[in-house]
Amino acid sequence: MIKVSFISQRRSPLMQAMSLKKDNKKTKQGKELGLALPLTSLIDAFCIIVIYLLIGTQTTGVESKIPGQMSLPTAEHSQAIEKEIATLRIEKGNYFLNEKQVDRGSLSAKLSQLKKQASEAMELLVQADTQMEYADLDPLLRAGSEAGIEKLRFAVIPTK
Amino acid sequence: MKKELNFELNILPVLDILSVLICFLLLTAVWLQLGSIDTKQAIGDNSTAGQKNPPSLWVTLSKDGSVQLSLRDVPQSKNLEESVAKTSTGVNWTALEAKIQALRAQIPDLKTSIVRPEARASYGDVIRIMDQLKKNQFDGVGLSPLG
Repeated sequence: MIKVSFISQRRSPLMQAMSLKKDNKKTKQGKELGLALPLTSLIDAFCIIVIYLLIGTQTTGVESKIPGQMSLPTAEHSQAIEKEIATLRIEKGNYFLNEKQVDRGSLSAKLSQLKKQASEAMELLVQADTQMEYADLDPLLRAGSEAGIEKLRFAVIPTK
Repeated sequence: MKKELNFELNILPVLDILSVLICFLLLTAVWLQLGSIDTKQAIGDNSTAGQKNPPSLWVTLSKDGSVQLSLRDVPQSKNLEESVAKTSTGVNWTALEAKIQALRAQIPDLKTSIVRPEARASYGDVIRIMDQLKKNQFDGVGLSPLG
């Protein structure tokens, strides 16, 4: 009977480093480097980092995009945002409702449309730059009042 | 010569790339915890006729940073008007906080506040005033639209 072995008898330095057997003698060629990283522990560390990042991004709840050039105001006494709510961003007098640009005139109609779709009391998260003038916020207050949105939440960066 | 069928995946370069990727992502992502300051707005034309309004503090903020505090519907004392002068950098935050604290200590029922900024007032200052009010246990903080 002919025995065919698919596994070569010659072992690579990697395999040698990972195996517990004491057979890491130099092979005939003597060219292979005996250098190998303990891969298992590295992979373990990577797994932990990946899991940590995945959990970290999931449990903080809501992910929202803020443009890089926008500096949100800071506040000491702020509430955490637990659930996903409609977001309105104000950039240089332009309104973006859930990332879609809305002009001032139709803001009220769009908000009431959103309110009709919402199952519970509607809240709106307002993202605006610190340097903005209050006059740019005013149309939103009026539109929100017309649409019947009682609760406005202003996005801030907590300092504590 | 017999061809070897045995092979090993070269994992080290893959790991290198992965570690570089993870470092890159960690460095480029801006991890920012976001909070919010809540306001309760009056909606529609809810009639409050016949109802007794709760004592409230109206905070008027002007463009240059001076703040006017006025008390409304406080039963035991007359309506008070106070102003906090601006400083060279804008709103005088320490004086404003002291005034709000004093009012809160003087009238424990004072839990409602309305912030009335002028058109050119800064949004950041408005939020900071609302933050100060929240800090002093004002439950209902509202924003008034421009008159």
